Amino acid sequence: MSLNIIFREKDIPNIREFDVYSKNGGYEALKKALSQTRKQVIDEVKASNLRGRGGAGFPTGVKWSFIPQDNPINYVVVNADESETGTFKDRQIMENNPHQMIEGALICAYAIKAAAVYIYLRGEFWDVAHALDAEIARARKAGLFGPNGKLKDADGNPFKVDIFTHLGAGAYICGEETALLNSIEGKLGQPRVRPPFPANKGGGLYNEPTVVNNVETLANVPWIINNGAEEYKKIGVGSSSGTKIFCLSGHVKNPGNYELPFGVTFRQLLYDYGGGPLNGGEFKAILPSGGSGPILRVTDEVLDTPLTYDDLRKFNSILGSASVIVMDDTVDIVWVASKVTKFFKHESCGKCTPCREGTYWLDKVLDRILAGGGKESDVDLIMSVAKNMQPTTLCAFGEFAANPTIWTINVFPEEFKAWVDGSKKPAEEKAVARPARERVAAAAAPAGD
Amino acid sequence: MAEQKLVTITIDGKAYQVPAGENLVDAARNHADNQIPVFCYHPKMAPVGMCRMCLVEMGTPERDPNTREIVHDEDGNVKVRWMPKLQTACTQTVSDGMYIRTTTDQVADARNNVLEFLLTSHPLDCPVCDKGGECALQDLTMAHGPGKTRMVFSEKMHLDKIVPLGDLIVLDEERCIQCARCIRFQDEIVGDDVLAFHERGRTLRIITKSDPGFDTYFSGNTTDICPVGALTTVDFRFGARPWEMTSVPSIDPWDAAGSNISLDMRLDRDFGGRAMIKRVMPRQNEWVNEIWISDKVRFGHHFTRAEERICAPLLRNNGNLNEVSWTEALDTVAGVLKAANGDIGLIVGSGASNEDLWALRQVVNGLGSERLGAWPVTHTGGELIAQVGVGKGTNLGKLGKGDVVLIVASDIEEEVPIWRLRIKQAHDRGAAVIVANARKTRMDDFASHTFRYEAGKAAHWLADLKKSAPEAAEAVKSAANLIILTGAEGLTLEGHAALMQAAANLLIETGHVGKPNNGLLSTFPGANGVGQYYLGYTPEQSVAMAAKPPKVLLVAQADMLADDPSVAAWLDKVETIISFSMLPDGITAKFAKVVLPIQSFAERDGTFTNGERRVQRFYTAQGPMGWSLPLWQIANRLGEKLGQGKAKLSAAAVMKEIAASVPAFEGMDYRALSKVEKQYPDVGGASDSYYYSGTACKNTGGLGVVIPTAADKGETVKAGEVKLPAVPKAGKGEFVIIPSTRLYNREAQFKLSTVVHPRVMVPFAEINSADAAKLGITSGDVVQISANGGSVRVRANVNGGAPEGSVVLPRHLTDEPVPMAITVGQVSKV
Ligand SMILES: Cc1cc2nc3c(=O)[nH]c(=O)nc-3n(C[C@H](O)[C@H](O)[C@H](O)COP(=O)(O)O)c2cc1C
Ligand code: SF4
Ligand code: SF4
Ligand code: FES
Repeated sequence: MSLNIIFREKDIPNIREFDVYSKNGGYEALKKALSQTRKQVIDEVKASNLRGRGGAGFPTGVKWSFIPQDNPINYVVVNADESETGTFKDRQIMENNPHQMIEGALICAYAIKAAAVYIYLRGEFWDVAHALDAEIARARKAGLFGPNGKLKDADGNPFKVDIFTHLGAGAYICGEETALLNSIEGKLGQPRVRPPFPANKGGGLYNEPTVVNNVETLANVPWIINNGAEEYKKIGVGSSSGTKIFCLSGHVKNPGNYELPFGVTFRQLLYDYGGGPLNGGEFKAILPSGGSGPILRVTDEVLDTPLTYDDLRKFNSILGSASVIVMDDTVDIVWVASKVTKFFKHESCGKCTPCREGTYWLDKVLDRILAGGGKESDVDLIMSVAKNMQPTTLCAFGEFAANPTIWTINVFPEEFKAWVDGSKKPAEEKAVARPARERVAAAAAPAGD
Repeated sequence: MAEQKLVTITIDGKAYQVPAGENLVDAARNHADNQIPVFCYHPKMAPVGMCRMCLVEMGTPERDPNTREIVHDEDGNVKVRWMPKLQTACTQTVSDGMYIRTTTDQVADARNNVLEFLLTSHPLDCPVCDKGGECALQDLTMAHGPGKTRMVFSEKMHLDKIVPLGDLIVLDEERCIQCARCIRFQDEIVGDDVLAFHERGRTLRIITKSDPGFDTYFSGNTTDICPVGALTTVDFRFGARPWEMTSVPSIDPWDAAGSNISLDMRLDRDFGGRAMIKRVMPRQNEWVNEIWISDKVRFGHHFTRAEERICAPLLRNNGNLNEVSWTEALDTVAGVLKAANGDIGLIVGSGASNEDLWALRQVVNGLGSERLGAWPVTHTGGELIAQVGVGKGTNLGKLGKGDVVLIVASDIEEEVPIWRLRIKQAHDRGAAVIVANARKTRMDDFASHTFRYEAGKAAHWLADLKKSAPEAAEAVKSAANLIILTGAEGLTLEGHAALMQAAANLLIETGHVGKPNNGLLSTFPGANGVGQYYLGYTPEQSVAMAAKPPKVLLVAQADMLADDPSVAAWLDKVETIISFSMLPDGITAKFAKVVLPIQSFAERDGTFTNGERRVQRFYTAQGPMGWSLPLWQIANRLGEKLGQGKAKLSAAAVMKEIAASVPAFEGMDYRALSKVEKQYPDVGGASDSYYYSGTACKNTGGLGVVIPTAADKGETVKAGEVKLPAVPKAGKGEFVIIPSTRLYNREAQFKLSTVVHPRVMVPFAEINSADAAKLGITSGDVVQISANGGSVRVRANVNGGAPEGSVVLPRHLTDEPVPMAITVGQVSKV
């Protein structure tokens, strides 16, 4: 079933290197795109049904078509912040098949008449950035783009778009596209008020119209240009075309990235690819889109659900960036709520009131419950606090941050009940959590020291 | 003014016509009397949508997809498509057909919820908070918030409660609601981006990025616009509760811009139970200072009640000054004056009010003298201001694209900070700001073009602009509106006269006179430099007295020796000197036969004429210090003794006489001067509205009246001859000394505000690095600068700020005075 549109390193070793990539049809899509009109390129991407892999699933071609072509300076920004909990696919793309993403970004740059491409990587990816810089330099030297670019577009103009990498400083919120733009501009990484949207004049990078796309999204583009939208649509199901990289982690035997066509079911992913439960336990819950999406209780119905943008809606959940975190029956769901809430509290940018204060408040009450001091009214309280956050925050982070509370209570009410009616006590929780951490610490300690 | 385009918006079911382009929060407030609650939004700054307090329901009429016609329901009402999520009103611009709901449950819940969130980690120390009683958070909680907390924990968020952001402002991190108003004020309004957020989430907090901390002349304004009590001034902190104070309208006594202020008074034990100035606040005047004031006036008020004040008349006997009664003092002075046979000179400082100037002049004129000297003798050209000063209706806040402000020979930030603030914003709105000086000044940061000329040659530069700066000449010629602002830095009095004439000529030649937002401005020191001219005083007459000293000299509110050490030589030749002074100074110490104690601006009524010729009232706030009297009253009583008529009973009566006698003041009486009108943004209008713009005061004291220029009145104004002055040339081993102005200095009055001391610079001089290298001087070395027979020791500041061959020597920082005008002298390492 596997088809490697993106993970081509599985078929062609060392494709990360410019020479290998070039020999295997690399940058042909760029040349093909340059021979077409910009509108043709955008229409092709539109027709392919390619949707953003960064989480929101917004149709990519439509996004490109928002850019005013008569504006003198537009930008492409590649979102390589990859900070959603449980997401680790963009790193693999950039490490193993970087040129395909670069080529996709260049095609986008041509289509929207961009002056430059910025790749924004999370700060921890400094090594990835260095390697990328080296590969970009090779391709640039080969005259594919940049000030000495030798390619010509359909109008006979030289293609001189250049590409730069930019490292963030370690904040989840900088994956949100407007906070990311602020960060590139050297400003505080806080989201901007919309409208204007990044695609509008006044809303993008340095106020210029900008397309922000995820790494994986752009890595799909060369394939689409080479093989055509019709071929692409044959992969996947319905409005979810193509392949998706599923970042599988948690209590499965074989965690990792799996590039699979949309429509594969949870059962296939968890058992056929993931190898089933890790310690012979039973799957209990799935976070299909990392910490930010609603949790699912594992049932046969869920297991047989095809993984598409639409099908997960049935369970009030989302596919997001497809960072599938699987938990077995040893996991306490209230602990999960608390753990994920702590993440959001730590990462809230603090710009708007409901998220800044709400995450702090939720965390405090969840701590109280897990310390054994919770009351039944506490569950109602955090539900209410979380629901008050969702409609009032400035950016989607606030909605994400409320999800763990709302959906763990909705989906696993009995677990909360156990904590607040006294049937569950903190000591048990500690007994589970501590040895695991100590094991890791012991393994990490240098021997003989 | 052009007709403003109107659009129709519907708020809570009622349609309103509002100006297109207006912010929704403003529109709702100004036209529908609907107070959408806000924290982060401020009408003077760009919206950021952070606090989420202003959430409203927003919608547009539903349209038939085919006909594009608006769809109506069965009752004929427009069908509105409401957006699923609430929208922040502060980030919306009104547009035609906009529908808003502010009274639905959804909106009420959102307001309640945002307040509940804000209160979860707020310390609620209202009982000891400076803002308590005028706090947006308190008021909005009362109006829209939850009555009870659901955040029940024994401990709340704890952050630092005393974080000095600099020497003047203290931050309470727990009280801060992260609205960023303070940061945005510094970024957008001032241009000193010295504040920032640090960290994120609930630990997001305000820090200062500058060294020294919060380095700006406008920091106090952030405490006004902070919607909570997170920012306090070291001066007022824990000083009083807002409701205990009475606001008295007043005017910045140092400011050529004439900033409107409010003296907030309380009966205070620290002042013997008398009404004491607890804080100085901005008073809204959109023509003058909007809702901003400089830190100098906010913190510099301590002299009004200082122990150092002279509290009784003093008479010199055997070399010593002794307290005497007013009767004895005035009899003595009257006797001296009568015996002078009209050989009398009068020199009055620029802090004296119009009434003072008039009353003193009557005394001197009555004795047959016309020698009315203005002090200090740095700026001149009042007659040109009267002809082609900025046109009536000028508002620096309205300058923008296509307009030009040309600043010559001024360090405007140090001289008139409020003008600097407003011109910086004009620049942001698209006005071209051209700055020309012999050296780099701070305004260069906000300039579209900067030019340098040889020290002393400002008039040469401007008079020949086409050659000296063709680009500037072109910009000036094609400017939609043009304001030329002159200073006197690096100039002699003749130099400034020539510069003023050159500026006037340029304005006349390019047709930029007699219209609003066009004309001449100058940075006259003090609050009433322009008033001096209108009441017949000129610096030239002060200079003339040096050449031919009078027998008797009256010196009023002028610290002549601190301004110009060289006057000692001719003061010695004056037989009798009478001083009218608030504080001891060089004149009272060495020269005065009689010292008459005068009142400060806070103790009496009066008017000042600002640089834009706006005559503005200040009101009595504090009781008198000792036996001191208003200057005009002393003059009137003296006049009475001299048989010149009965003393007036009030400053208002003096103004009546001025209005009847001086054409420029025609029709001005205290009632006309105290007229107010509705201003936008409407601060302190309704009882609930201080949160909207902070705690700036509503103007109840008057917006003032502008004296029209000759050009305003349609009289023909003609260019005049520019008499280019000789420029001091440094000989071998000599330097050109360029005295400069510092806003914070050690002048007698300002020195008494100890809170500002840490921010007053150690005496220094800027030296060019090439010169410094030759002399073996590095930054921080002590150097001796000698000129005009005197010398001072200061620290060298080698920063490239001074042009080669010159030193820039700030005045009023050292104990010994430095030269007042450009000169030559020696510099040596100590
Ligand atoms: C809080 C938050 C964090 C996000 N983090 C990421 C991220 O790490 N990487 C990413 O590609 N998109 C992230 N996004 C989504 C981006 O805002 C944006 O939608 C995306 O980069 C668009 O690219 P796409 O259309 O190709 O998906 C995040 C969004 C939010 C609200
Ligand atoms: S919702 Fe959270 S992350 Fe988004 S702007 Fe508000 S505080 Fe920042
Ligand atoms: S200190 Fe005051 S003005 Fe500044 S962010 Fe905090 S609450 Fe707002
Ligand atoms: S979000 Fe509109 S006032 Fe703060």
